[in-house]
Formats: sequence, C-alpha cells, structure tokens
Amino acid sequence: MSSEAEPLLHLHPAAMVIDALKSVRRLVSASALPGIIVLFSQGLSPLTIFLVLLGAVVLVVLAAVWGFLSWRATSYGVVGGAFRLRQGVFQKSERTIPLEHVQSVDTVQGIVQRVFGVYEVRVETAGGGATEPDASLPALSRGATEALRREIEGARKEPVDTEEEAGPEVLRRLSVRDLLVAGATSGQIGVALSLLAVGSQVFDEFFSEAFFRDLVDRVAPNALVVALILVPAVALVAWLLAIAGTVLAHFGFTLSRDGDFLYIKRGLLERREATIPLGRIQAVRVSEGVLRQPFGLASLRVESAGYGEDAGVSAVMFPLLPRDEVQALLREAAPEFAVDPPLNALPRRALRRYVFRACIPAVVLAAAGVLVPLLVFDAFFGLLSALLIPAFAVYGWLRFRAAGWALEGDRLVVRSRNLGRVTVVAPRRRLQSRSVLQSPFQRRVRLATFETEVASGGGGSALEVTDLGFEDARRLVEALSSRVSIKKSGEERPA
Amino acid sequence: MKDEPSERLDPRAKVVWRISGALNTLPLLAGAGFASFVLLRWVEVSVLVGILPVLAVLALAVFSVFVAPGLRWRRWRYEIRPDEVDLQRGVWWVSRTLVPLARIQHVDTRQGPLQRRYGLSTVVFHTAAGPNQIPELSTPIAAEARDRIADLTREQDEL
Repeated sequence: MSSEAEPLLHLHPAAMVIDALKSVRRLVSASALPGIIVLFSQGLSPLTIFLVLLGAVVLVVLAAVWGFLSWRATSYGVVGGAFRLRQGVFQKSERTIPLEHVQSVDTVQGIVQRVFGVYEVRVETAGGGATEPDASLPALSRGATEALRREIEGARKEPVDTEEEAGPEVLRRLSVRDLLVAGATSGQIGVALSLLAVGSQVFDEFFSEAFFRDLVDRVAPNALVVALILVPAVALVAWLLAIAGTVLAHFGFTLSRDGDFLYIKRGLLERREATIPLGRIQAVRVSEGVLRQPFGLASLRVESAGYGEDAGVSAVMFPLLPRDEVQALLREAAPEFAVDPPLNALPRRALRRYVFRACIPAVVLAAAGVLVPLLVFDAFFGLLSALLIPAFAVYGWLRFRAAGWALEGDRLVVRSRNLGRVTVVAPRRRLQSRSVLQSPFQRRVRLATFETEVASGGGGSALEVTDLGFEDARRLVEALSSRVSIKKSGEERPA
Repeated sequence: MKDEPSERLDPRAKVVWRISGALNTLPLLAGAGFASFVLLRWVEVSVLVGILPVLAVLALAVFSVFVAPGLRWRRWRYEIRPDEVDLQRGVWWVSRTLVPLARIQHVDTRQGPLQRRYGLSTVVFHTAAGPNQIPELSTPIAAEARDRIADLTREQDEL
C-alpha cells in the first residue's frame, strides 16, 4: 500500500500470528464438540486420524493465509488531526477518529503478545461502546506504541506543561503484601463460589450417576461430618480463587501521573496499561469493603465518561490502601476530588425507615418459615428464621449510620452502605441531573430521597441519599444549581 | 426551588394514556384468562378462586384506564427555564428533576402512531448520563420546546 498518499503504517508482523491464532481458536471452539462426537461414534480408525490431521493442517494453513491477508489490509496512522484505521480483507472499512475525541490510548499485553514483545493498543473515545474498544490494533512494537501515543496525546495536550517534561511520576505502587491482602479481603468469594458451582457442573458431566449414588450411600450416615468438612473446604477453595483472581489482575499495580493524565499499569499474565485523562473523571469512589473496613483499608475507583471497556476492573484507580492515606493520594493524583468533610447525618426519624426496610426480607422469610412448615412439618424453622429479624434490624441501623452527605466547596460528597461503605465525591459541574423523590410514606414523615447522576461509561451512574429531610433535599438541589455560581459563567454573564 | 413547575401537558394526554393503558392490559388479560382456565379445568378449584386472576387483571385495567391517567396528568408539570429544565411527575412516587441546560447534549421530538392520531409529541433530551423526556405535548408546542431547549443549550455553551 505504499502507493497511498497518506503515510499509514502497518502493524507489527506478529499481528499475523495473533490473528491466525484467534481464527484457529474460533474454528476449534466451534468444531470441537461435533468433532469429538463424530470421533467417538466412528472409533479411531487410521482413516479418521488421517482426516482429522489433514483438517488440522488445512485449518492452520487457512488461518495463516487469512492472518497474512488481514495484516496486509490493516493500516493505521495519524493524518490531518485524526486517527485513521483501515482494515478488512473483503469488505474494506476505514475508521476516522478526530484526535480531540480520543479519550485514551490503552495497551494490553496478553500472553501471545508477550511472547513477541508487542502490545495490543486500544484507542478509546468518549461515549464509545461499552463492550468494544473503538479501535483496536492487535500488535504494535514498543516503539510504535510510544510513537502513536505521543502523536495522539501530544496533539491533545495544551503546550503549557513545560514543568512536567520529566515524564510520568509514580504516585503509588501496590506491594506484594498489599496485593495478597487485597485478594484476601476482596469479598469476591461470591464470584469464586459461582465459578466453583459451574466447575462442579462440568464435573457432573464426567462422572456417572451410579458413582454419585454410591458416594451418597457411603456419605449419608456421616452427612453432618462431611458437611462440616466440605463447607469450609469449598469456602477455602473459593477464597484462594478470589486471591488468585486479584493477583492476576492487580499484580504490580502502579499509579502514576503525568500532567493531566493518570497512568495505570497492572497485571501478571496479561499486562495492561490504561490512561485516564484527569479532565474525564466524573466522580471518585472510596469503597471500604466489609472485610476491609475493620482494618481501616479502602479501595479507590473512578467513574470516567466514555470509559466503558470492562468497566469493573479498568475503573480501579488503586486497589488497596489505608483509609487515612486516601486523601494524600487523591491530593497528588486528582486534587479536585481530595475532600473529606464531616458529613451531615440523616434525621433521627429516618432510622425507623431504614430498620423497617432492612427487616422486610427477614419478615417475609419468617412468615414463609412459619406458614410453610405449619402445613408441612413443624414450626421450628419458622421460629429459627424469626431470629434473623434482629440481625436485619442491626443491618438497617448500620446503613442508617453510614449514610450522609455534604457539600464542600463545589463538590458533592455522598456516603452510603450496602455491605461495604462507599463514599462518592463528584464536582458540581459533573452532575447531570438532580432529583428529589418522595413516596407517600416519606411524605408523612417529611423525608425524601435525593438522587443525582454522573456520566459513566456509556450511561450514567447514580449518587443517592435515601431519607434525608425533605427541606434539606430541596435545599441541596437548589445549592447544586448552576445558577448559584459557576465561577466562569458568573463573570461573563451580563448582570 | 419553586413549589411546582408552571406548565402542564396537553389534556389529550389522558386519552392517549387511557388507550395505551387498555392496550397494555390485553396481553395480561389473555394470560390471566389462560391461568383461570387452567385452574378451573385441570386443578379444579372452586369457581370463586378460579376467576381470581381475571378479576385481578380487570381491577388493574380499571385503575390504569380510568384512575391513573387523571392522577398522572394532574401531577405532570414541566418548565423550561433559561438555565434548567424542571420536571415533576409520578402518581405514587413523586419525583422532581432538574436538568441543567449546560449538560444537555441533544434534543429530539418523537411521535408514536397513537400520538400522531391525537397530534401529540414527546420531547426527549439527552445528557451524558441518559435521556429525560416531556411526553404528550401538542406537536407545535413540542417543536417549540425542542427548539427552545436547543437554543438555550447553545447559549449556555457559549458562556
């Protein structure tokens, strides 16, 4: 394509291999199941083995050819103030992203990419798709990656930042000890447990029913003992999986800042490098998980506009740090969000509603527990579940105590608890809409729910204060109005 | 914050809501009818229990055709001020929402088949966090509201 007038570049040749592997994987996963069924029903005659091998060879050759063709068809570059990506073997496509719309240039280094020492580069735009990066280059060398990043970010940066020419400054690194603590307290045991459940279903497929019946026969007399061993064992495995997951995702987590950009590097097998422009951060979340709060630990997340790609993990700004160091880190990383004012508590009369709401599931459970056994067996379980009610009431009280809000300068701070305690800081100019909601029950006791939204990923993310005084809610809505004073517009507005 | 936004929706909104409420209960009614049939024919419960599903859906239909549209219309108010759009709505949960014009990215008007029949339109305006709408305005008023919001948004941007 050298005849083209525009100086578009090709990917690193490793892209051919990566692309070929991708298509092989796709074809294999599509044909694996029917293939295996055919194999087992036909038996392993020399002919079938030969056919399978032949198929494999044809597959690899086709994939390689396809990889080459798509490598040749793909080119990219920055031309005339826009990022261009040309691709497609049969159906050609050309994508143009104006540089001022580029939100970040991220890199991911999967295992294959690491073998070749190349990077997958993702160009993300604000308001881009939630699941797919807007433009993805599967293989660029380190040098090409840096060059592209400089070209895109250089054009975007205002030429003011002469002081910060020294390159990114590392703000904080996650130590291995903290990494393990983060995994151990991540509270993702639930996720790991469900993985185990899926695993056990796969396990089911492999063993016959007779095996299980035999197992049950042997186990049944000692069911209690087995349960006592099995439950903690499963929990332990789930816990270890949760730790492993955290280690894989957050190994070597490094947060650095260069002028108006935050850089995040992380990952053990798959290394990721993400850029978050400070100007795109809509809100910062300080979460203190249930397991972390007793140790005074917290994690930091950012809500960032148009940063949708696996939002769950990529929005982590720092996975674990002591609660009392959060402000210091925020002052260095994102000073706009570094506030920790005393919060306005909810009025006393809200406590009843919090406790009541928390108790509803327990009451329903207890009622069912009393009614159903009355019909079927005895009421013992019903009474047992009634014991849950005080526990849920305490949970309601904890939620009430955690809830609070404050307006500090131009920033709204909202705290709430589901299990962990979460504090969200959002500047007023990031709030999209503000609402006061009131149910008939709330109206009777002059309470209301305040709700506002910030842009996040493809859509919005809500900040909510449930059951604050109705007048407070209205005053808060009023105080957050742009009329009260956005400093800039206040100066320029005539009278 | 003012006590209530000043403008109301077009009164024909009630008619549209009644019709769409009736249409929406049709599939439910079919489901309830089937449930009653099953209960009476195969489970063989008494007639009084058997017609409960149908009665429940009929009650819901009466509410959503004769009661809810009036309440909803009386509550729904809006006002387009120079700096914000003010919305109030909700039959049970009353909500009051303020959307700063400076955050509005684009505005459309929409019209469904039923709305077209009655000369009504919906104004939808989008912020980065999602859409808000003012439903059931008479079409010329909706067009005016749309243009007004668009103009004010532009002014806000220039500040």
